[in-house]
Amino acid sequence: MSRVYGEPIEVFVNDEGRPVRFVWRGRLYTVRRVIEHWVTTREWWRQENADPETSTEREFWRVAAGPGLGAVYELRRDAATGDWLLARMWD
Amino acid sequence: MKASRALPPCDAHLHVASSYSLRYGVAHPRILAERASSMGIEVLALTDRDGLYGAVKHVQACHQLNVGSAVGCDLALTGEAGRVVLLASGRRGWASLCRLVSAAHLSGERGTPEITRELVARHADGLVALLGPASDVGRALAARRPDLAAARLRAWQSVTDAVVEVVDHFTVGGHHQALRAMRLATETGAQAVLSNEVRYLEPEDAAVAQVLDATRRLSPLEGRYLQHLGEQGYLKSAERMTAVAERVCGPDRDAARRLIETTRAVARRCVLDPAADLGMGDVHLPEAADDAPIRLYQRCEAGLARRGLAGDGAAIRRLGEELAIIERKGYCSYFLTVADVADLIRSHGIRCAIRGSGAGSLVNYLLGISDIDPLANDLLMERFMSDHRKGLPDIDLDVESARRLDAYRAIRERYGDERFACVSMMETYRARSAIRDVGGAIGLPPHEIDTIAKAFPHIRARQIRASLDDLPELRGSGLAQGALAALFRLAERLDGLPRHIALHPCGLLLSNATLRDRTPVERSMLEFPMSQFDKDDVEEMGLIKLDVLGVRMQSAMAHTLDEIDRTGGGRIDLEKIPFDDAETYRMIEESRTLGCFQIESPGQRDLVSRLKPACFDDIVVDISLFRPGPVNSDMVTPFIDTRNGRRKGTYASPRLEPILRDTGGVVVFHEQVIKIIHKMTACGPDFAEGVRRRLENDVSKEEIRDWFFQVAGLNADRETVERVWGVLAAFGAFGFCKAHATAFAVPTYQSSWLKRHHTAAFYAGVLTHDPGMYPKRAIVDDARHFGVPILPLDVNASARVWHVERTADGAEGIRVALSEVKGISDAEVGRIEAGRPYGSLADLWHRAGVSRPVVENIVLVGGFDGLHDVGGAGPSRRDLLARVGALDRAGRRAARPGADGSSQLPLGFVEQVMDGELPEMSPADRIEVELDILGIDVTGHVLDFYSELLEELGVVRARDLGELEHGEEVLVAGVKVATQTPAVRSGQRVIFATLDDSTGLADLTFFESVQAASAATVFGSWLMVARGHARRTGGRLVTLRATGAWDLPELEEIRRRDGVEALHAAVRPAPPDETGVGGTRLEYANGYRLSPYSDINPAGGAVRHAPRRLWHASGGSSGGWLPAAPSRRRRR
Repeated sequence: MSRVYGEPIEVFVNDEGRPVRFVWRGRLYTVRRVIEHWVTTREWWRQENADPETSTEREFWRVAAGPGLGAVYELRRDAATGDWLLARMWD
Repeated sequence: MKASRALPPCDAHLHVASSYSLRYGVAHPRILAERASSMGIEVLALTDRDGLYGAVKHVQACHQLNVGSAVGCDLALTGEAGRVVLLASGRRGWASLCRLVSAAHLSGERGTPEITRELVARHADGLVALLGPASDVGRALAARRPDLAAARLRAWQSVTDAVVEVVDHFTVGGHHQALRAMRLATETGAQAVLSNEVRYLEPEDAAVAQVLDATRRLSPLEGRYLQHLGEQGYLKSAERMTAVAERVCGPDRDAARRLIETTRAVARRCVLDPAADLGMGDVHLPEAADDAPIRLYQRCEAGLARRGLAGDGAAIRRLGEELAIIERKGYCSYFLTVADVADLIRSHGIRCAIRGSGAGSLVNYLLGISDIDPLANDLLMERFMSDHRKGLPDIDLDVESARRLDAYRAIRERYGDERFACVSMMETYRARSAIRDVGGAIGLPPHEIDTIAKAFPHIRARQIRASLDDLPELRGSGLAQGALAALFRLAERLDGLPRHIALHPCGLLLSNATLRDRTPVERSMLEFPMSQFDKDDVEEMGLIKLDVLGVRMQSAMAHTLDEIDRTGGGRIDLEKIPFDDAETYRMIEESRTLGCFQIESPGQRDLVSRLKPACFDDIVVDISLFRPGPVNSDMVTPFIDTRNGRRKGTYASPRLEPILRDTGGVVVFHEQVIKIIHKMTACGPDFAEGVRRRLENDVSKEEIRDWFFQVAGLNADRETVERVWGVLAAFGAFGFCKAHATAFAVPTYQSSWLKRHHTAAFYAGVLTHDPGMYPKRAIVDDARHFGVPILPLDVNASARVWHVERTADGAEGIRVALSEVKGISDAEVGRIEAGRPYGSLADLWHRAGVSRPVVENIVLVGGFDGLHDVGGAGPSRRDLLARVGALDRAGRRAARPGADGSSQLPLGFVEQVMDGELPEMSPADRIEVELDILGIDVTGHVLDFYSELLEELGVVRARDLGELEHGEEVLVAGVKVATQTPAVRSGQRVIFATLDDSTGLADLTFFESVQAASAATVFGSWLMVARGHARRTGGRLVTLRATGAWDLPELEEIRRRDGVEALHAAVRPAPPDETGVGGTRLEYANGYRLSPYSDINPAGGAVRHAPRRLWHASGGSSGGWLPAAPSRRRRR
């Protein structure tokens, strides 16, 4: 089943920006396979002090990762700030 | 990953929208081409939506930057079935694309072109169809119908060369869509190409694209539209495109390689050659018989006889020279064509005059294109046409504005749609339009958007935020604070983007039967065929552009002549009036020039009062001098001094004296610059014209300097050469084309002559066609000063246009036109005119079919006063209003019978309204409704409301300004009739304002030091009091250097509330504030500086119309009564 988290995580990426490892709740997860990668745009005009000149993209990576058996995780990166979130997971 | 380096670079972009995809694309074609060039892209296609608007600029830019250019069009399929890109391959492909785009525009609604496969089939030669995610094929794939997608793909392949277009913008599901497209290509054996559906240059520009989407869809930004957009649609490098290919093809390296190779191969096939494929660099004239040179010669010879020049040696020599150039350049048929067009226009009874440098050509004079004799006026042909100039010479014709489209229709009929098209122009985003559109996109309420937009002058969008700091009228507005920052930032980014296409005001294309192979054509608002190319593009494409410009003054003069004829003055031929009429020149010298062509502005009234023109040549000089350059280099004073004998003309060399004698040693004309260069270097006037052009630019001026010193030095000493060069360097760029000035001076003199000798008819013409800068109420006031009575609106006497009418005491008055009535439609005017005379209000009501609000408006401004003896024995206007109500009710009863089919009241029954129950309107009431309904105070002057206040302040009336000493400080008051911010030498943003106070005009100058306190009032108020010091500049006209301005109704409020002492305190001058106007001045080499805010229309609404009800806030009117708001419902 799918669970929604939205928790900040630390992600390590390779030269091409692809996530290879991430740390969530103090545990290290290794990315085994990228299942899907896409981007969306946030609704910048609704935000206080909206600045249309910075990137409005959110990048999503759905990956198979884990210690042990592994599960599917959806990682989200805000292009403007570079911050990562764990958006959802399926196990 | 390592193996990816072995993949070839995907260095072609096949699907790119520029900003010429209206409200869709973000980047200008040139910017895209530059980026492509710097990234080493081999082929860049431009595939704008719905048209080829940017194609010429794209091809040119790519050609210069060594990028292969391809052109296509992204067109919608009928029935909202998606969009397909059609790319042109080769010359035949270009012709097919032009014709397909034209056909698409012809088949859809205006502005929403569409195609079908059948339509493409008709123009398929040399076209390549890209079937991408938005196409009908892509849609079938998205709907998981590969079978349907394959069938549609086959259908396209049966029609034309068709390939599958693969796109991956990393959106949700986008990857899967790309995979399906790859699979379709594999399974059907079709070719697949990769594109990036580019809409902008950088990822950061995606927000602009989103705003454009919102303005195009007329709906605020919504999250659901954006989920699928992302910001990947930018012009990616070849490496990044290769990475996209990898992403799409996954581990299948061969598939990725094939995708890239196919993309590059298709791109190469579509590269267009500017000359061979588009026909650039050639001139495509209308078909001409082989005997064009002979016919041209014969017509010129006949012209010599007609103009009385037969046997004139100078004329024959000049004709020989001109014909030699024309023949060498192969333009014989061009001149014959223009002569044909001018004849055609005149044969329809439309006034037609030449404008611009073409007046310098004897051939134009002999062919009857021009009525100006270049020899008698000392005009040179070289300024117009020379061996060294590339491209066709421009011949511009002025016609009556009201009949411009009649002229177009006649030309269209003569040449046919295959050979005729109008030129288009792109309206681009400026500050106000950008704020409106972005405001709408982010969901601001419309009235707020309107207020914000109107607060700005008509500046460029990119100046918005700077202007909030720079301009005194905006500094105090509070707009700069916080909440609107995002709006302004985004609005600035729309700067210069094309917003919509419009008919160019004068450009026409005339060509041969291949015209539609060379330019796509769409329908203009008025259903004229309109090229998608602008005036620069058509020149690049070698198409004849003929400028036929509608000029309101020509219409005003035509109406004047008709009125003279109608009232028994006979048919005057304006080309044959005496050009030495002393009375006309006296009127001009007295600055009584309102309504006259070119010389009515405050600055010109000042200039003519100093210059005192006494002959036609003086008017030519006046027009040439009234430009920022000469005025600011102070060429005017030496000229006037020499002319009035106060100073002897000085010359850099005695050899220049014959050239400059007529203008007091000052270089006024381009023609003089040409002659000086020729005189000093003997290079020939033709070459000298080329040199003169290079003087206009600081860089090429330096290049020409060495040449000049060398050649002129052969024949003169170093000092002389230096002095002459000094003259050329200073004034070479400022001179004005004398031929152009002469062409302008003709209607200037003609209109002045008409004003002087046929005054009433002239005002009828000017008020009907509104040619000038002043509101009609100022013209009406001027007519009163000339002793022309203004006859009020009368349903039995007023017509569609203003007419001359003899009054009881024999004077010639002018009758207010029906079309001035607020809200009246063209059809209503026509019906009222046709049904005259009327016996009563009820008669008009029943026969003319005019809506109730309009009839009420006519009643209120006295249109029935004569008919019903209002003010005499008859009812009052308010009684008549009540009758309108009764007639309306009766009419509605008749239209809606009761349930049993019969009305309670007999048919045609109208309630009896008793007259005399309602009091008559006061004189002040009348003026108020006149301003509201006609925009003109007919029976009095709006300033009359404030006579007490003006007396209290000791305000000086305009007619008495001439008595003031230089420097004397006074108060003036009046209605604002003009504000201008022209360019001045100091780089200040100076405001010129003109007030009308019923006795004349007061011209005020506000320098920057007083604008902090007064700019908002000058731009925002309609009625105002101003303080200033008298300024005498030598002429009769006294202007005021203003030190303050106040809103008149506000002062009236202070007077009534706080008493006269407070009133006097209120109009004290504010201490000067040196903050001034900000912004970086543009500096010219000769020390001339230009404010970025000069020469733009100021903030606020238009000056030309009285603001609704603004004056009403004053207590000056008697009790503020307004007609008890009658129901404003429409009758039907």
